[in-house]
Amino acid sequence: MVTLSEPPVAAVRRRGRLALLGIALAALVLLGSAVHLTQGTASVAAFDVLRLVFGGATGDTTAVVLESRLPRLLAALLVGAALGVAGAVLQSVSRNTLASPDTLAVNSGAHLAVVAVAAFGVSLPLLGATGVAFAGGLAAAVFVLALSGTGGTGIIRLVLAGTAISLALISVTQVLLLLYAQETRGLFAWGEGSLEQNGLGGVRTLGPLIGVAVAALLGLSRRLDLVHVGDDHARTLGVHVGRVRVAAIALAVLLAAAAVTLAGPIGFVGLAAPALARLLAPVVPGLHRHAALLPFSAALGAALLLGADVLLRAIISPQRALEVPTGVVTTILGALFLIVLARTARITSATAEPPSAGARGGVSALRYRVVLAGLALAVAGAAVGAVLLGDAKLLLGDVVTWLSGQAGPIVTGVLDTRVPRVVAALLAGAALALGGALTQAVARNPLAEPGMIGVVGGAGLGAVTVITLVSGVGFWTLTGAAGLGAALAMAVVFAVAARGGFASERLVLIGFGVHAATQALVTLLITLSDPWNETKSLTWLGGSTYGRTLTHLVPMALALLLAVPVLIRMRRELDLLALDDETPRVLGVPVGRTRLLLLSCAVLLTGAAVAGIGVLTFVGLVAPHAARAIVGSRHSRLLPTAALLGALLVCAADTLGRTVIAPGQLPAGLMTAIIGAPYFVWLLYRHRRGSD
Amino acid sequence: MRTTRMILGLTAAATFFVAACGTTEEPTNSAATASAAGPVTVVDSRGKEVKLPHPARRVAATEWNGVEHLVSLGVMPVGVSDIKGYGQWVSAEKLDGTPKDIGTRGEPSLDTLGSLGLDLVIVTDSVTEGALEQIEAKVPVIVINGGSAKDPIAGMYANLDTIAKATGTEAEAAQLKSEFEQKLTTGKAEVAKLGAAGEKVAFSDAYVTSGSVSIRPYTKGALVSAVFGRLGLETAWPMDGDPAYGLAQADVEGLTKLPDVRFWYMANNADGDPYQQELANNAIWRNLPFVKSGKVHRFPDSLWMFGGPKSMEQFVDAAVAALKG
Repeated sequence: MVTLSEPPVAAVRRRGRLALLGIALAALVLLGSAVHLTQGTASVAAFDVLRLVFGGATGDTTAVVLESRLPRLLAALLVGAALGVAGAVLQSVSRNTLASPDTLAVNSGAHLAVVAVAAFGVSLPLLGATGVAFAGGLAAAVFVLALSGTGGTGIIRLVLAGTAISLALISVTQVLLLLYAQETRGLFAWGEGSLEQNGLGGVRTLGPLIGVAVAALLGLSRRLDLVHVGDDHARTLGVHVGRVRVAAIALAVLLAAAAVTLAGPIGFVGLAAPALARLLAPVVPGLHRHAALLPFSAALGAALLLGADVLLRAIISPQRALEVPTGVVTTILGALFLIVLARTARITSATAEPPSAGARGGVSALRYRVVLAGLALAVAGAAVGAVLLGDAKLLLGDVVTWLSGQAGPIVTGVLDTRVPRVVAALLAGAALALGGALTQAVARNPLAEPGMIGVVGGAGLGAVTVITLVSGVGFWTLTGAAGLGAALAMAVVFAVAARGGFASERLVLIGFGVHAATQALVTLLITLSDPWNETKSLTWLGGSTYGRTLTHLVPMALALLLAVPVLIRMRRELDLLALDDETPRVLGVPVGRTRLLLLSCAVLLTGAAVAGIGVLTFVGLVAPHAARAIVGSRHSRLLPTAALLGALLVCAADTLGRTVIAPGQLPAGLMTAIIGAPYFVWLLYRHRRGSD
Repeated sequence: MRTTRMILGLTAAATFFVAACGTTEEPTNSAATASAAGPVTVVDSRGKEVKLPHPARRVAATEWNGVEHLVSLGVMPVGVSDIKGYGQWVSAEKLDGTPKDIGTRGEPSLDTLGSLGLDLVIVTDSVTEGALEQIEAKVPVIVINGGSAKDPIAGMYANLDTIAKATGTEAEAAQLKSEFEQKLTTGKAEVAKLGAAGEKVAFSDAYVTSGSVSIRPYTKGALVSAVFGRLGLETAWPMDGDPAYGLAQADVEGLTKLPDVRFWYMANNADGDPYQQELANNAIWRNLPFVKSGKVHRFPDSLWMFGGPKSMEQFVDAAVAALKG
């Protein structure tokens, strides 16, 4: 479409390229729309649709096209365009190429608000629902932006804060869905984003709203150009930066909220469409200006969403496609795009500063021992509490009689099932925390946590693939598959990120993409193979200690037994590797081999934990950071502290999950995010004050 | 500040330890008292031989079909999953208020199961594999089919017989089956008398997702469809269902593939009626042949589509009533 080798030419030619791109996109969207109209579960073929256009169709065809096909098509176009524009604007005002309705937690905030309102039994008309979604999305976005700042340097911080808050909000949403299963019926599947429409009502109500918001943003485009360039520059030209920014964010959030109301949170379109537009900007002069950027982002968003929907229904037939939410496909497509983008895009900013860089360099030996002893006591206390608390409350004496084998049948029955769960939580927490600390040190990246860079997701995908394809697999096959998945995901992420030397942004972008893609694939596998099994999806998307037996503990215990001696021996090398490339080499450390060994340990720990209790993100990120903040960054101290913190976090989360709605159960993964995220946000906030 | 926090934590932990001493149950060494009846051996749906020292009296069930079987056999279960939901969906056999709630159907609370002092637990294959092993380590477990799309009625009988054998209520099971066969025979005669034999029926339920309606067809493999089949009514859904329950998915435009059938559906007052509320103004819906000819009929609430003979008898009555109405 556009060749790179052409020399710079006159302005007329330049505008020609922009027009060419516009025509090509318009043609693509038109073609996609035409195909889209012919897809569906009714036997209304392309020919019938064509006849309708010329007025010769039957009542049946007219009804199908007007009440089902056209609304779905319009919803795809509207939602895609709204998300594309929202993403572009959010990226501009935060001067951050990663800002989008997904990463700013707008989607999850809006979704939570809608679900919460439904949970408390309030039924709202569509515009009211948009208002609620808007309030939720805006609150989330403002919170994330307040934490990450809009200075243009906070890429890492934005992703961190956004992901953490998003995870927590999604978890609260899921808890509400579980608690109020009756009232929120149907909103579970909607969490993935679906274009199903019942008539033109939704499109007719929200279409004008989206149109007005986009028009208002287009009106602001000149000012957005200036704000994007720089605050000072804009101010000297008389632009009120603060006001423009507030207005732009509010309008963008409104667009995202309208999209969420119409189709649920559709993943990655808001990130991918404007990013693609910006990627084209160097070869299509004029595209960088908002007057062009916004319409093109809209068109790309619409094309992306439409393409995903067409593709899905073309591949697995419209009948089967009813089971798969379109958001799953856009997430997979968007994630792949993100990975390619991260590979080719020039990453300009300097090396990222670890969020806890402001933390103390070290504490006195005595203080460290006191902290460690305190943590060990806390873990012991949490473990004891976890054993005693639950659906049936026990007392310590029960545990003593159980240990001596003299307990009555009831206590025996309860403890025999409860103790493996508690141990599973402790082991998984420790394993994930160690895996996180290791990956962060080796990749020299504060965000390189097995969950955040897609390794946990890869392990989960491996396990679910085996469960889906082969029935009745043994637990060891499952563990092997999880380990293989973890290793593959890590290999992919690191291989792709290796170009240009593991730049922080690149690694996180790629990992973020891989994580999203694996989660979407897990959803896809479960919905296609076992659509009525909610329990399975909860375990593999949320992480749960439910039904763990002693067998499940073996891989985690083995992984820890294998890894711990290696870590004790390598603790100094870890310190050196975390420093830079040169120092360890100068001091005679075989860098490549050491890295490989340590990463293998991380994969082993992560894979075993996932096979044991499912996909549990966030522990590997929070625990090492917290440990670094408490005892400093020396690994001989960091590692034990992190392991204890991880065990504490998962054990406490699991106990809460088992007791809050007993006899019902909440998966540990949800509780981990709800407990872990606020702590993490506080950590970010504290550091922000420290560094300003 | 850090020290203060530490001291507070330690104090809390210490208090906790002291307060938590003691036992909730006296230490014992002896086994539970034996029953008069002799040992039983049951082969469950896994093909596993489950040996019981005596017919089970204290039984828990995780799926509602198991619960219904137990109650209809005269064995009031001790533990039942999601009691509130059972009351909302299953009206054929009522619980007497004594069963304890054991949590959700997919993830029953192992704590509660462990503390009920059970003789037997009845689960379906949808329970997590690890949980099955854990329950089984303490209490004998019988796995029954959630459903079997190949021959749903035979599958229901097989489940009933397995449970009857384990609880020593085979006479009651035989009685239930013959009553049900009787019901089918009279139902079939009534259908024929109404001149409806061989008519096409499409049974479904539906749920609403952000304003749009998803329809769940009960295809030829569903238990309800098999019961209708025995009455001489033919299932009209063209698509295949899943291998256990015979359930498929459809959207509103997919309904255009149905000819002028009898369109019967389930809804529950707790969740509203998607067909009447959401679809009333939808042109596709209003254009459907069976909507135009007024052949749409909502079944009474709280009939369990995956239940036992008693629930299915309700469906026979409901079908006859629908043909009359």
